[in-house]
Amino acid sequence: MTQPLSKSIVIWAMVIVVLIVLSAPTIVVLGASLTSGNIITFPPDGLSLQWYAKIAMAADLRNAFLRSLAVASICTLIAIPVGTLAGIALSKYAVRFEHALQIYLLLPFTIPLIGSGIGLMLLFGEWGLLGQIWPIGVACCVINLPFMIWAVTASASSLDPDLELAAANCGAPPVATFFHVTLPAVLPGVISGSLLMFILALNEFLVSLLLTDARTVTLPVQIYNSIRSIITPDLAAISVVFIVCAALVIALLDRLVGLDIFLKSK
Amino acid sequence: MTSQAEAVAPRSSLPVAVSVQKVDMTFDGFQAVKGASFDLAEGRFLTILGPSGSGKTTLLRMIAGFQRPSAGEIFINGVPVSAAPPHKRSIGMVFQKLALFPHMTAAENVAFPLKMRRFDANTIPERVKRYLDLVQLGPYADRRIHQLSGGQQQRVAIARALVFEPDLLLLDEPLAALDRKLREEMQLEFRRIQRELGVTTINVTHDQREALVVSDEVIVMDKGVIQQNAAPAQTYRTPANAFVAGFIGVTNFLSGKVVAVEGANLTYEAAGEAMQGHWSAPGAPQLGATVTGALRAEQIRLAASVAELSACQTVKTGVVTDAIFEGERIVYEIALTGAPGTVLRAFDHDPVTHKQFAIGETMAMGWNARDVLTFPN
Repeated sequence: MTQPLSKSIVIWAMVIVVLIVLSAPTIVVLGASLTSGNIITFPPDGLSLQWYAKIAMAADLRNAFLRSLAVASICTLIAIPVGTLAGIALSKYAVRFEHALQIYLLLPFTIPLIGSGIGLMLLFGEWGLLGQIWPIGVACCVINLPFMIWAVTASASSLDPDLELAAANCGAPPVATFFHVTLPAVLPGVISGSLLMFILALNEFLVSLLLTDARTVTLPVQIYNSIRSIITPDLAAISVVFIVCAALVIALLDRLVGLDIFLKSK
Repeated sequence: MTSQAEAVAPRSSLPVAVSVQKVDMTFDGFQAVKGASFDLAEGRFLTILGPSGSGKTTLLRMIAGFQRPSAGEIFINGVPVSAAPPHKRSIGMVFQKLALFPHMTAAENVAFPLKMRRFDANTIPERVKRYLDLVQLGPYADRRIHQLSGGQQQRVAIARALVFEPDLLLLDEPLAALDRKLREEMQLEFRRIQRELGVTTINVTHDQREALVVSDEVIVMDKGVIQQNAAPAQTYRTPANAFVAGFIGVTNFLSGKVVAVEGANLTYEAAGEAMQGHWSAPGAPQLGATVTGALRAEQIRLAASVAELSACQTVKTGVVTDAIFEGERIVYEIALTGAPGTVLRAFDHDPVTHKQFAIGETMAMGWNARDVLTFPN
C-alpha cells in the first residue's frame, strides 16, 4: 500500500464509524440482556444470565418464538417451488409479457408494507382466515417473493443454455433434465433465496402486526406489545436469541453455498 | 481425381448412415440453411467447413434435433427423424463450450447418458471406466469438472458423447477455444478414437486445416448453401468455385475478361496483362465474359530473374512489398509490375538455402496455365 497517510486515515476512520454504527444496536441489546438488575440499561448493572432463564420459562415468549419459526417455515416452503420455477422461467424462457411480469413481481416493493398489510388483512378477514398461523406465512411469502425470484434468476441466467441441450442429447427427457441438470445448477440461488425468505419472514413485523391476534401473535409483535406496557431485560434477552437465530442462518448459508454467491445473487 | 481416402473406402460400398434431403432453415425471414442435401456413409468422418454465419452450426443442430428444419427431411439409418425430440435420437454430441455438468464428477458425467438411456445398472461402472480409459482419463474419474484442465475436460466430453455407442457423433467446434498446440493434439485424438470405434462423425469447424487433417469428406458451406462436398485433397486441388478456392489455402485472385478460348484453356486480360488459365467450372468459358482466376501461393515459383523461370508458361515480374518470415517458410507479397494495386502472395519453402529478397527488390514469378483455376464471376 503506497497510499498517502491522510487518505488511509480517512478510510480507516470511515470503516470504524460504519462498524460502530452497524454493531452498536446488537452490542447494546446483548449488554442489556446480561444485566443482573431489574430494569433495561446499558452498560448493564452487573452480569447475570437470569433473564435468559426467565424467557426460557416464559410461555408467552416461547410460544410466540415457535409461532415465528412456523410462519418462517411456511413462508419458505411456499417460496421454494414458486420462486424457483418463476425465476427459472423468467431467465431462461421467452415468456410472454415477460417485462410486464417482472414489473408485477416488483410491486410488493413499491407498495408500502402498511398498504399490503391492510389489503391482506381485509382479504383474509373476508375469507375468515384470521386467527390461524399459515395465512401469516403466505402473507410473508407474497410480500418477500421478489427476493427469492431474484436469487434464482441470478443463478439461472449464468446457466449455459447448452447444458439442457446436452442433457437432452444424453437421452434425458425434459422432466429428468430439469431435476438432474437445471435444478442442481440453480441450487445456490435456491438455497440463498430460501434462507433469505426464512430470515425475512422470521423478522417480519408490520404485516404480522395487522394479521395476528392474541392466539397467533409472532415474536416481533409480542416484543412490541410488551414494550408498550413495561420494558424489562427479558425483551433484550429474547432479542439476542433472535439475533443468534439470524446469525445461525447466515452461518448455514456460508457453509452451504458460500456468502460470496449470496451477496452476488442480490 | 481420386483421393486416397476414397481409394480405401469407396463411398458406394457402405450403407448410408445420415442422409440430409433438401433441408431449409428459416429464422424470422432469414434463411440460415438453403436446400442442403448430402449422404454420409457409415463410419466416415465428415467435416462441415465454413465461415461464421454460413449455416454449418444450424445444420448440425438440426441433425441433433435441437432445431426442426423449416423444410426437407433428415434420415438417420434410413429413418426420418425431424419429428423426433433430441432425447429420442441415438446421437452423441461434443458441444462448443463442452456443456459438461458442473455438479458432477468426470465419471458421473460419463455415466449420465447410460442412466438416462436405461442401461443395465450393473454394467454402467465397467462401461464408464472403459470409456474414461479410452480417452486416457482413468485416474481422473472422481475429479470434479472444474478440477480438470481444458484438454481433460475435452476428453470427458468425448467420453460422455461416445459411452452409449451412438449411431452418430456430432462435434460442434469443440476445439475452437484451445491453444494451437493442444488443438492439433486433440484433432489427432479425435481421429484416433473415431477410427478405433468406427463411429460415423460429423464435425463442424471454421478451421480449414482441421478440416483437411481429420476428415474423410469435407463439405464447404457459405451463406447457407453447400458449395462443395468432396474428399479433402479433392476440395483442395479442384475447388468447385472461387469461394472454396479462397476459403481453403492461400489463394491469389486475378479477374478479367476472356479474350481467347481453346478447349479448357483460356486467355483473359487481368490488370492489363494477358493471363492463361484453366477452366474449372461446368460448361464452357464464353468470349468476353468476366472470369476469376485462382492461383495458390505455393504454385508460384520465385527467382531473381525471368531467365531462371523458362520452364514456366507464365512469367511475370514484381516488386517485393513485404517479406514475412514464418520459420519453415517465407511469405512474400509482390506487387505485379504494370498492374498497380495487384499484389500476389507466394511462398519460399526453403528460406535457408534460397536467396532472400528484401522489400523493394524486383523479382520474377512463374507458374503454369493449369495452376490458374478459372471460374465464372
